[in-house]
Amino acid sequence: MSGEGPVGNGPILSVDHLTVTAKGKTLLDDISLDFASNSLTAVVGPSGCGKTTLVRSLNRMTELTPGLRVKGAVNYLGQNIYDRSVNPVLVRRRIGMVFQRPTVFPNSIYENAAFGLRLVHEEEGKIDIAVRHALTRAGLWDEVKDDLERPALSLSGGQQQRLCIARALAVRPRVLLLDEPTSALDPGSTQRLEETMEHLKEEMVLVLVTHNVGQAARVSDRVAFLHTGHLVEMGETEEILERPKDPLTQQFITGRFP
Amino acid sequence: MAAAGALVAELPPADVLIDRSARTRFRLGFDRAMSWLTPLLFLVAIVPILDMVYYISRKVVPTLTWNIITSTNPYQTDALGVPLQTTFYLIGLSTALAVAFGLLGGIATAELLPERWANVARTSANLLVGTPSIIIGYLGYLAFVLYFGWGLVFLSGAVTLSFFMTPYVFRTADLAFSSIPRHIREAALGNGAAPSQYILRVGLPIAFPQILTGVFLAMAIGIGETAPLVITMEPGVLVPSNVFSPAIVLTEVIWENFTSGEPLLVLKAFQAAFLLLVIVLALNVIVRVISARYQKRLEGLYQ
Ligand SMILES: Nc1ncnc2c1ncn2[C@@H]1O[C@H](COP(=O)(O)OP(=O)(O)OP(=O)(O)O)[C@@H](O)[C@H]1O
Ligand SMILES: [Mg+2]
Repeated sequence: MSGEGPVGNGPILSVDHLTVTAKGKTLLDDISLDFASNSLTAVVGPSGCGKTTLVRSLNRMTELTPGLRVKGAVNYLGQNIYDRSVNPVLVRRRIGMVFQRPTVFPNSIYENAAFGLRLVHEEEGKIDIAVRHALTRAGLWDEVKDDLERPALSLSGGQQQRLCIARALAVRPRVLLLDEPTSALDPGSTQRLEETMEHLKEEMVLVLVTHNVGQAARVSDRVAFLHTGHLVEMGETEEILERPKDPLTQQFITGRFP
Repeated sequence: MAAAGALVAELPPADVLIDRSARTRFRLGFDRAMSWLTPLLFLVAIVPILDMVYYISRKVVPTLTWNIITSTNPYQTDALGVPLQTTFYLIGLSTALAVAFGLLGGIATAELLPERWANVARTSANLLVGTPSIIIGYLGYLAFVLYFGWGLVFLSGAVTLSFFMTPYVFRTADLAFSSIPRHIREAALGNGAAPSQYILRVGLPIAFPQILTGVFLAMAIGIGETAPLVITMEPGVLVPSNVFSPAIVLTEVIWENFTSGEPLLVLKAFQAAFLLLVIVLALNVIVRVISARYQKRLEGLYQ
């Protein structure tokens, strides 16, 4: 299969009977869901329900944790990324990830944003353009454009997190996974990041893990509610947040969760 | 509300914050004793070293001439040019080997090997560090001098010495890579770096200052070694012209001459010791300067 257009009308990313276990413990239990194109799906649920495990299994980051076993399929453009012939490095170049804490590398702002492009030996001229584009889309360009050679570690936490988003965006992934990207940020930075996500979702698949129902309501189109490794309910954000079918979901969104 | 009033009335005095238990008092006393003992122990350690440095320097400095240090003329019996240069070459080759194997092994252990094999590698390195140098020297003699048939030459000494230095490089490389914050590693791999790209582009620059310190430590230790070299090399008169020449290093000059009873030869031993001290001191200063410069870039990484 070549080219990267969606296969027929199928989704860019879908999960098919995904089960993740660790030493006999089931972290995710038979999960199936589609992530719609050009939209943001929020994954919500109480602490320890498997949100991080779910997004990490979407680009084979689960492999970096010894002892985790994955069954089932994650299909990217119709290709199961867990097939033996698939190279996880290439998967992660198409399905980017942003973590809970900012994770900039100890070099310049420019080099951080250019990281993924250097990995594929992109031409210098194209890197310049892509870095500028990515920093702009991440909402950081105006703040850093005068000194791209500054050490990235000298930025504020919120700026560092936006730099991490720029780093992920620079390689033009079709999917971006965000695991509680605002949980370490102040309200101002959080708001900026939410605005950035709203722009980004017009052109890619965004998966946002959040424990904050308000944030899901503000930025997401669809919500998936997880509980103890089960997908309890998934649907349009309005549907799920205003008329949840499952009592567990109801308890969670009204904040009456243990 | 009445209950609240009662609670306030029953509140104990502020000294509930002060802990007078025997255990706490012992701990505080212990802390205080230690804060006095530490500088004292430091003195106990530093005084003999300073005394030795002073003793050697006083004896040697007035007798040193540029010619003694640089002359490689085999007929000038009081010259140290030959062992000095040979020491640099020998340490150079041993360090190159130790860095090659220690770095590869340490990085593989931290990044690539499954935990079980990594622990086997770590234990072996620790064993090697704990092995007396005379035994490593003897094994080197059996392996390189006899089995490989190289003879009592420069190469046998250099390779034997590198076995001695490798575990120090290995351990710092392993430790430096293992202590890189996990989220940095995950960010690199999660953004599409292959493991080798992570190691070269992200890991090495972060681990560099620590590894450098290990390499210089290994050099300083290697420079001070005598036993394995005495067994594996025949003392040379000249700076070795190739790796299969006989060779003599500074520590061997000390070893050969110190107990000779001949005042001129004893002085030669002292001069060699002085040069070793200067070299080791210089190594320490260099490593500090370089790693401080690199360390500065890492500020904020390990919040
Ligand atoms: N490597 C592992 N081995 C065993 N159990 C694990 C492992 N990783 C995670 N778990 C368990 O799996 C469950 C789900 O973890 P996960 O990190 O996905 O939760 P989460 O929904 O992201 O929680 P939070 O909101 O606190 O981040 C937890 O109960 C956790 O203890
Ligand atoms: Mg989590």
